[in-house]
Amino acid sequence: MIIDSHTHVDRVGWYDPPETIVRLMDEAGIDQSIIMTYRDAPDSEGALEYIAQAVQKYPDRLIGYARMNPRRGEAAHRLFVKAMEVYGFKGLKLHPVGNLCHPARQETIDMISLAVRYKAPVLFHCGDEELTLPLQVAQAAEACPEATVILGHCGGYFHTRDAIRVAERHPNIILETSAMPYPQVIKEAVERVGASRVLYASDGPGCDPTIEVLKVKLAGLTAEEQEAVFYRNIKHILDGVRAGGGMS
Amino acid sequence: MILDAHVYVGQCLFGYGRSLDEIRADMDRLGIDKAVLVPVKPRDYHLAPMNDLVAEAVQRHPDRFLGLCRADPWQGETAAAEVRRGFEGLGACGLYLDPWEENFQANDDVVVPVVQEAGRYGKPVVINAGHVRVSHPTQIRDLASRFPAVQFVACNGGQINISGMLQYEARRMLETCPNVVIQTAGTYREDFLEEITTEVGEERVLFASRSPVYDQAFEMARVRLAHLSASQKEKLWGLNALRVFEAQ
Repeated sequence: MIIDSHTHVDRVGWYDPPETIVRLMDEAGIDQSIIMTYRDAPDSEGALEYIAQAVQKYPDRLIGYARMNPRRGEAAHRLFVKAMEVYGFKGLKLHPVGNLCHPARQETIDMISLAVRYKAPVLFHCGDEELTLPLQVAQAAEACPEATVILGHCGGYFHTRDAIRVAERHPNIILETSAMPYPQVIKEAVERVGASRVLYASDGPGCDPTIEVLKVKLAGLTAEEQEAVFYRNIKHILDGVRAGGGMS
Repeated sequence: MILDAHVYVGQCLFGYGRSLDEIRADMDRLGIDKAVLVPVKPRDYHLAPMNDLVAEAVQRHPDRFLGLCRADPWQGETAAAEVRRGFEGLGACGLYLDPWEENFQANDDVVVPVVQEAGRYGKPVVINAGHVRVSHPTQIRDLASRFPAVQFVACNGGQINISGMLQYEARRMLETCPNVVIQTAGTYREDFLEEITTEVGEERVLFASRSPVYDQAFEMARVRLAHLSASQKEKLWGLNALRVFEAQ
């Protein structure tokens, strides 16, 4: 079984309708994918609804995360609650490049605290750009020790060492494999923080899920470690989320 | 025929490296017919002996290897002389410039003398591209526009950014500079390679691994699993690189 912890469905920016990711999931042998938009709610009208509709269309294949702009305060909080309780979403996505909101700003902490109420994971874009560096995202993990903070892309091209370093320091940090080009970093992450804190993800459909699966297989993990990375860990996290049942 | 257009040889100051024997063994294991060898920057900082190492490898195994000559533009006339030595005495098939490791901006005036030498000999210039502060695609574009008769090869798809924010500039670079091609290694989003091949030109993309910085087996998957036709893949696997490096 494989669950992809980070993919995109959207009609703004890159045009990636749900059919695209589902086709690539079929090619890669992926059972389920977590989907999110490329844009923030509530800035972009209809963003969360687009994800909800995709999940409704493929309820056995797709799982929704809400990508939010913390700077929007109450408006963002209300929409996130709706996403969790009405749409049945399972997590929060934050991309500070898009909203220029530092991971440890109070607005971000407030948003994360709301996710904690649902025991929902918080997936950060974590790469080489300002506001997304592992040592910056780690400040949010430190400020919110009850949050499950996922470092998407595991620090990108140049900050993978920092990503593993902060994961060693903060037990609530989880590392995620998508798009960064180093199979050996996955191996190192498993050795240093444990297979239970590493998630397979593709950042598809732009990054091909089949290739991203191969990257994990090239990392030289044991069969048990691969199982944990490919689906057990994220399943455990998602099973703990207190959310609504979704649209019917 | 599979030609890996970028393989580093030697032990690098920055920690990565492979011997010639290790490279040959990996090529045999992975089914790679031929490779373009690129000298690393060694611990003693002296590039000339590394250029000799590459030339010796090419002389010993002309059926398996082509070689680049590497120069540090900050060395001024010494660098220009080394480029001439590379083309006249060592049989180099192109010039390698690494703005990231040699710490210069790709379009700085300091680069002009060595690029002029490459132009004089009709040899391509391979540049470690996509590094935001030194080899941003706009800087490669600026350089290539000033030397329209010189063939440039931009590493890393011309863009290193795990948010995809440089893709537009990398495509602009290719669209406005017919004398630039890109390598596949490390490129963010495989669909960028598919987009450039199908929309900009199937002659504009070369398979390259930049191993051992990137994983050679994983990098091959970017071409093997690309959603491209067999004839397009044949060009990416080697025909395009042969045209660039052997037709000079």
